[in-house]
Amino acid sequence: YQQPAQLSPQSSFARQPAAVSKLSHDKASAIKLKLENYYQMAISHAIERNQRRLDLEHKLSSQETGSSEERKNRQLHSLGRKESQFLRLRRTKLSLEDFTTVKVIGKGAFGEVRLVQKRDTGKIYAMKTLLKSEMYKKDQLAHVKAERDVLAGSDSPWVVSLYYSFQDSQYLYLIMEFLPGGDLMTMLIRWQVFTEDITRFYMAECVLAIEAIHKLGFIHRDIKPDNILIDIRGHVKLSDFGLSTGFHKTHDSNYYKKLLEKEPTPATNGHGSTKGRNSMMIDAIHLTMSNRQQMQTWRKSRRLMAYSTVGTPDYIAPEIFIHEGYGQECDWWSLGAIMFECLIGWPPFCSETPHETYRKILNWPESLQIPEDIHLSPESEDLIRKLLTGAETRLGRYGGADEIKKHPFFRGVDWESIRRVDAPFIPKLRSITDTRFFPTDELVNVPDSPALSKAMEQQNNGKQAANIKEDLPFIGYTYSRFDYLTRKNAL
Amino acid sequence: TTINAPQDLPLFLQEPFVKTSLVKGSFKTIVQLPKYVDYGEWIALNIFEMFNNLNQFYEVFAEYMTPEAYPSMNAGPTTNYLWVDSSGQSINLPAVQYINYVLTWISNKLNDQSVFPTKSGGAFPQNFMKDCKNITRQMFRIFAHIYYNHFEKIVHLSLEAHWNSFFSHFISFVKEFKLIDKNELEPLLPLIESFEEQGKII
Ligand SMILES: Nc1ncnc2c1ncn2[C@@H]1O[C@H](COP(=O)(O)OP(=O)(O)OP(=O)(O)O)[C@@H](O)[C@H]1O
Repeated sequence: YQQPAQLSPQSSFARQPAAVSKLSHDKASAIKLKLENYYQMAISHAIERNQRRLDLEHKLSSQETGSSEERKNRQLHSLGRKESQFLRLRRTKLSLEDFTTVKVIGKGAFGEVRLVQKRDTGKIYAMKTLLKSEMYKKDQLAHVKAERDVLAGSDSPWVVSLYYSFQDSQYLYLIMEFLPGGDLMTMLIRWQVFTEDITRFYMAECVLAIEAIHKLGFIHRDIKPDNILIDIRGHVKLSDFGLSTGFHKTHDSNYYKKLLEKEPTPATNGHGSTKGRNSMMIDAIHLTMSNRQQMQTWRKSRRLMAYSTVGTPDYIAPEIFIHEGYGQECDWWSLGAIMFECLIGWPPFCSETPHETYRKILNWPESLQIPEDIHLSPESEDLIRKLLTGAETRLGRYGGADEIKKHPFFRGVDWESIRRVDAPFIPKLRSITDTRFFPTDELVNVPDSPALSKAMEQQNNGKQAANIKEDLPFIGYTYSRFDYLTRKNAL
Repeated sequence: TTINAPQDLPLFLQEPFVKTSLVKGSFKTIVQLPKYVDYGEWIALNIFEMFNNLNQFYEVFAEYMTPEAYPSMNAGPTTNYLWVDSSGQSINLPAVQYINYVLTWISNKLNDQSVFPTKSGGAFPQNFMKDCKNITRQMFRIFAHIYYNHFEKIVHLSLEAHWNSFFSHFISFVKEFKLIDKNELEPLLPLIESFEEQGKII
């Protein structure tokens, strides 16, 4: 062949998309996306790797001249070794087989959370499974993915670290750090109420955690006690919310629309027995501390709610429901609701049904009441009322977290060091796989959601024909991160 | 001035297709061995990822590759690749069968802990680079076959930018690490030279 001439004319070949099958077009879209993602990743890997090297070289060159060349060389080669290990890891196809399940420690509508051990290294992780088909249906993928990407890169002490993710035809698997202390919901079930001092600690840490995600430009929208996890030292971390499935339940506006249209039948799945709780629960503000029995019943159903597809709207700000747009301040509302629950024992708008809760939230000026027989300090009541209020006047609306930190309730809190001080409750563990802070016995009996059972059935029947369409949005999901892996000693 | 009638050239050498690419700029950043990084790990990861991508590209055309339509593994009128069977005999295979053999063979290599170790502590074998050369040579043949036989479909699918960039990346990589002999590149040499002129290959 001759070289193409400098000024060769345009080809007369006509592009005819219809000349190839629909299937080919789908496959072509998939490889396009994959390749685009591949090159973006390749470039960012290169940039980050280069930066790590420059940082170390810079650090070494600025050390006093006393340190020997040999030591510097050792450190540079140690970095090289880690980088090489990381490359190897990216070639390793992690799959379910690489992990053994120790126990199921959490359950959601579209998957579960398990304590797992990596077979080759023996390291412990929490593994969250998410059913792809459900996430796809829920139409939430775009922002779920965006948020995950940022959070995964955020490296904040206030957010659960994500180490790896991988997928098969049905599920996404997220391998995260395991937080052995359980979650705030479980703590509240156990302790019922906290003193003001203890509440102050958890609220202060939550303020910092929420501030951290806001600084990343994100709004959580679904902060609730089940998403507030407790690490080995008793400090708080927010679960990787970009992936939280609760998101899908509670932010499916159609779900609420439907609720409004007809009085819902009590959720059959996971909601458990509702007998005997009927009239008692209609108006939760009548619950008092003397009514411990009811409170316990409520808590029990609360946990079952967390497992069900219905979810609880208890902590969601009113403006989210009415589609008028919302800002970061919606998370401060959730904080107020959680604070109320810590001090009083149940969330401010708790009701028999999600529908009723929803109604009460919209009608907060009347429905928000602090039981008379519960004594709250004026500062804590004031903070609750400044958080559980209209978005326009809510504390934090204009001044962000700083405005909240300055509230008298937090007087005396050392914001700089709080994560380093002793937590009021430090989980005492027998081993790295101790799951005493998780309701593992209870979980065994929680039925799978319909979507999950169906997926399980399909898996057993071996019919999991890869659906290209459904796989498309998940292309960027296979992932692992250098910084976490090295710093957390996972490499 | 006389110019080549574009119809005399294979479609992939015709404009605008030959000028289309997804990735702008040099592949240097993502191809060159990073400082202090292990040579074997770098080669291994790159081959692993390129193989996965090539495999997925092939899937797009697989349904059209019947033995009747593509009775041989050719790359243009003058190149026909033969498969060497276990007894050392060279045989002509339909493209689909040839490619399937190659993909399976590479995939087995990549999954073989004694060739591409992934477990911690596993070392690369003595003849690792020889294996890599064989793998990239076969991968090149798949590129060549698709360029010559399926480029029309690539255009119908508006895939040429992605495909061209992927190929430029592949060539940049094999050149950087001298994985393929120049004579093996022969069928696509005009394309490679054009990409080089355009600065798409380092
Ligand atoms: N990294 C982790 N370490 C320990 N426990 C975890 C971890 N992630 C989740 N859990 C436990 O599993 C429970 C469920 O997790 P998560 O809330 O992420 O899933 P979900 O119920 O599917 O989603 P959502 O709570 O948004 O509805 C948590 O309440 C917590 O008890």
